[in-house]
Amino acid sequence: MNHNQEPWLHNLQAGICENCDWGFLVPEGKFPGKCPHCFRQPLSSIGENLAELPNLRPAELYLPFELSDSRLSQVVKAFVDGIPFSPQDLSTRNLLNRLERLYLPVWLVDCRIRATWQAEVGFNYEVVSHQDHFIGGKWISKQVNEVRIRWESRIGRLDRQNNNIQAAALEEHHSIIKALGQFSWQTAQSYKPEIINSENIRLPNRSPEDAWSDAEITLHTKTAEECCKAASAGHIRGFTWQPEFLEPNWTLLLFPVLSSYYIDDSGSEIPVIIHGQNGRIAGTRSASMKRAKSASVTILLVSAGIFILSLLLTVLSATLPVILAFAVIGVAMALLLGLGSIIPIAVVWWFNRSQQPVRV
Amino acid sequence: MVETFPPPGYIPMASALEGIEVFMPAPAKPNLQTDLFEFKCPQCGATTAFSAGEGSLTCPNCGYQEQLDTSRSGIQAQEFEFTPVTLERSALSQVEGRLDLDCQACGALTSVPATQISHSCPFCGSNKVFQRESPQDNLRPKNLIPFTVSQKACADISRTWLGSSWMTPSDLKGKSLLTDFTGIYLPFWTFDSVTTAAWKAEVGHDRTERYYQDGEWRTRTVTDWRWESGAVRLTIDDLIVAGTGKLSSRLINQINEFDLKDLVDYEPKYLAGLQAHMYDIPLDKAWENGRQQMREKTKSACLEQTSTSKVRNFSMDLDFSAESWNYVLLPIYLHTYRHAGKSFTLMINGQSGAIAGQRPVDWNKIWLVVAVLLAPGVALGLLGIITLALAGIGAAIGAIGFFLFIIGLAVSLVILVQANKLDDI
Repeated sequence: MNHNQEPWLHNLQAGICENCDWGFLVPEGKFPGKCPHCFRQPLSSIGENLAELPNLRPAELYLPFELSDSRLSQVVKAFVDGIPFSPQDLSTRNLLNRLERLYLPVWLVDCRIRATWQAEVGFNYEVVSHQDHFIGGKWISKQVNEVRIRWESRIGRLDRQNNNIQAAALEEHHSIIKALGQFSWQTAQSYKPEIINSENIRLPNRSPEDAWSDAEITLHTKTAEECCKAASAGHIRGFTWQPEFLEPNWTLLLFPVLSSYYIDDSGSEIPVIIHGQNGRIAGTRSASMKRAKSASVTILLVSAGIFILSLLLTVLSATLPVILAFAVIGVAMALLLGLGSIIPIAVVWWFNRSQQPVRV
Repeated sequence: MVETFPPPGYIPMASALEGIEVFMPAPAKPNLQTDLFEFKCPQCGATTAFSAGEGSLTCPNCGYQEQLDTSRSGIQAQEFEFTPVTLERSALSQVEGRLDLDCQACGALTSVPATQISHSCPFCGSNKVFQRESPQDNLRPKNLIPFTVSQKACADISRTWLGSSWMTPSDLKGKSLLTDFTGIYLPFWTFDSVTTAAWKAEVGHDRTERYYQDGEWRTRTVTDWRWESGAVRLTIDDLIVAGTGKLSSRLINQINEFDLKDLVDYEPKYLAGLQAHMYDIPLDKAWENGRQQMREKTKSACLEQTSTSKVRNFSMDLDFSAESWNYVLLPIYLHTYRHAGKSFTLMINGQSGAIAGQRPVDWNKIWLVVAVLLAPGVALGLLGIITLALAGIGAAIGAIGFFLFIIGLAVSLVILVQANKLDDI
């Protein structure tokens, strides 16, 4: 199927996961693969004409993947290591084999602003103060220069073009950033269909109208900083403006993440995502209670065996008293092992309790 | 309706960014008074002068009065911070020299010291108030307390004061010269600060203990020293420090109890017919003096916190904060009179009428009184000795004489010390 009136949509097909409700543009060859987010079921096709999809605008910039294979292996191994009684399926190899490359969207808005503004701007200045010390009947005086801020009123007008103001295109944007950290926008490159159209792209689930409030806050902050700079001041406070936003133009910036999963005790897929630039990894690390229980039962059985053996030795000691010593040692060992059998379960319980579940 | 931008009272300023215009509030019009002020009566053209009694600019010829803005800045008067630039300017403005003034009325050329900022022409009496154009605007006086005590009242105050001591010459009270007081605005710095101090010291606690020595029990006082510490925070408001070293600081200190609630904004009209001097002790030197006084006040407050007055190894850390200063002119009447070939200075607070000064001592009068005080003792003593020698009696008279002599001597010494003090100022 060829849906592309838009060149950037070339070779892509839209689908949605009915389990996690994430929508994607997926290369036609991969469709309908498993959902690259939750990995639970195949994507369902949506829309015949991609250009008519709601909330979709052309991509303008993208951040390339910068993670080397060795770094990737390293971060995945660090994620897996240190989990006591980790689920059978949670291994470095499984996570690496199941990796999917994924681009997540952020809105970029360009607009011209005409506004009048007013604020108090602050200028640093020095004052001379003193700190004195009285000891041994003498005063010792030390001059100290303190920096203070002189606030002055300023008003103004502005007419400026603002480009590439970012606003969240996903409802989950802030939780993703919280889990993975910020992305470095300095490496942003112009969108290239031949590179990006072979990757999974998440569809925005916030409309430009919804995202405008975010953009407006960013524009307010940015303009306040610019007005401070224009007034040659060091600080600004109480910035208010009456803006007129003209010619807004919305495009997308795509940032790279990798996703994978492992299967836990209950057979559920637990998603793991990785920052495509610095390799920071986020996902719920859970220990397997099933494996812990098996270990506990095994220890308990061994303990029971030793106990029974010790009882037999006790009976035999009636004929050969020396054996009684072995019987006593055996009973003690059986008791210790019996008590120790609780350890695997306790360790797993404590580990799972200490892990914060990560949801993205 | 289209709103005008910028609103009135704002002026454009250079912007560091393209596409952003910046406007700032127009600075208050600088008080660029011309170098010379002449106060002419609008009715008769005579020269007007500030009248302390009326509190107005008054024409002595026709009685015309121009009321001045009497709204008080008081203790709310603007105060300034100690910026390095201000301190530097304060020191730089100490330019020695004189200014030549050309009288606009009679054309006479008068030379006045550069530090004198008001002047009356000695030839025609025309009042020209000279205001030096100074780049250090902060260091012009911002406030002053107008004269409220008139020259006439000064004469009465000084006569009363001079006559209040029997040690001064009797003819001093009637001196006609005492009417010639010069009203002068003297420069003063006022300082504010909050001092925060942390102190520690060993404080002595006395106790009495009994001890056994040489076969008997005795008592003695023993001091136990214990470390104590504390903290003090003082707000010191409007500490007045003289801005001139030309007059006796001892005299100034006696009359510098000014009520700063009466401060008004500086206005040349208040100076008409009076003299005014600029500071010759720069801000940093005066602030050093002020800080010293503040330190001692804070130290006293710390010492008040100790549990006893016996203190040793006292130390404290003191932090000055919220420091500010103001430069004000305060009203003083000055008078120098001659008596018996010597000069004496009188100073009267132009706001409160407090007086300080030098008074001549009539030493003839003093010695006469001393002689009178000693005479009875000496006379009775001699009488006692003579009668004892001739008749074998008079021991009692001699003893009384000796007793009276001792009393007379003691009183005489007190009088001599007081007279010496009076003469010494």
